[in-house]
Amino acid sequence: MTPTVPELLLGNFLCLMDPPPEESVGDYLQAKIGVTGMISMLCAQEAERGIEARAWENGAIRDLLKAAAPAYGQRFAEAAAGVDTDLSLAAMDRANAGLRRALIDLHIAVEAARDAARDTEIRALYVKMADARRLDLPPMPAT
Amino acid sequence: MSLRTQIEAYLTRIWGAPATVADLSRIPGGASRETYRLDVVCGGETKKLILRRDPPGSLIDTERKIEFEAIRSFAGKGVPAPEAVALEEDGAELERPFFIMGRIDGGKAQSPFSMPPYGEHAATIGEQFYRHLGVIAAAEVEGLPITGVCDSPAPDACWKRELDYWEGVIDADEEHPQPIVRACIRRLRANPPPPAQKLSVVHGDYRTGNFLHDGAGKVIALLDWEMAHIGDPLEDLGWAMEPLWCYGETDRVSGMLPKAEAIAIWEKASGLKVDPAAFAWWELFASVKGQAIWISSANEYRKGGFKDPVLGLSGWYTARRQDVILADRLAALEALS
Repeated sequence: MTPTVPELLLGNFLCLMDPPPEESVGDYLQAKIGVTGMISMLCAQEAERGIEARAWENGAIRDLLKAAAPAYGQRFAEAAAGVDTDLSLAAMDRANAGLRRALIDLHIAVEAARDAARDTEIRALYVKMADARRLDLPPMPAT
Repeated sequence: MSLRTQIEAYLTRIWGAPATVADLSRIPGGASRETYRLDVVCGGETKKLILRRDPPGSLIDTERKIEFEAIRSFAGKGVPAPEAVALEEDGAELERPFFIMGRIDGGKAQSPFSMPPYGEHAATIGEQFYRHLGVIAAAEVEGLPITGVCDSPAPDACWKRELDYWEGVIDADEEHPQPIVRACIRRLRANPPPPAQKLSVVHGDYRTGNFLHDGAGKVIALLDWEMAHIGDPLEDLGWAMEPLWCYGETDRVSGMLPKAEAIAIWEKASGLKVDPAAFAWWELFASVKGQAIWISSANEYRKGGFKDPVLGLSGWYTARRQDVILADRLAALEALS
């Protein structure tokens, strides 16, 4: 999932580097600074939870691909091979990209086979994947 | 040359009289274009205006002529659309394409990040919000200015045209594989909706945050027509009720009204009916379209050197919220048979 935490924090810095033109101070600048603050707050969440979410997702996709391989082909077992040894966000995202591509291919094959049970299993995994990566904003007061 | 000087040079030329800009100020929101409020004094008269100028990078790729003609199609036609004033597709003195419209003062738009914002006026605002959308859906397309810049699809082709377009955006801009939205797209293609019961102008971004209200329960302006097109009127209704725009509420759409009540208001104003099966398709499509926009935002954020934090937030936080919505919608669909 992009952009990455380093990119977002770099962006927060860069977007405030240039002096704004006179017409872009006031409400616009205030809103812009508010968004950079929001991004920083969410980056803190990602730093705290991101590794765990990716480790879980990569493991869950590998398990599903391996379980499906006898019915859908050895290539899915091959795609699931390996373990996450580099636990940086960047390395885990690289592994995740390959696993997600294999998951998309598997889901297409499952749909073509009208395999309702495995389709339901994959859709349930999607719910967990999305939930594991969610970022939470505290309630913002209405203005 | 400053933007103020550029605007003065432009307006002086087209109005044939000296124009002086006062209180030029960029305003937040309208993320697909730079948006400015300004007062212009010309011939002893003060005009209150909004300038919308193309940015170097954008949340969504849109044609400013379409937005201009969409506004012209509805200004003074029973919905609170602003007055269209001027359009320059080659940028003229302002160097980038832009258009100018009348400004409606005294209103505020709500941030999608704020708490349920309408308080005691939620139902009153909701009645107007869904009634205005019904009026837009009811309008006969033929003869409206927007038909000069938008094609009219066949009623049975509306869904495919929109799905093809937004899938194309994902194909072009996706930077990390997105299995959830891809699965949703396949479901939509495998189970198309019935033909549109009527061709309508589709606002394209009709939602909370894209209208102004006066704080006392009155909707005073419908904004951000840049994704307008001609298509199935259920498309706008699905987008308006997209959970992303509901402030986390599950019992009131748009943080305003129970869903059945909002649909009844829309049906009465439009003279159309909401077929549940067709509408379910357009609801899932709305979530797919949202994800396409956020994927595109992330791509623009990178291309623009990470300098627009709204694009960054949209391509990251909002994309993840959208994935939660998409996954829940997908899980709720019937099992394969």
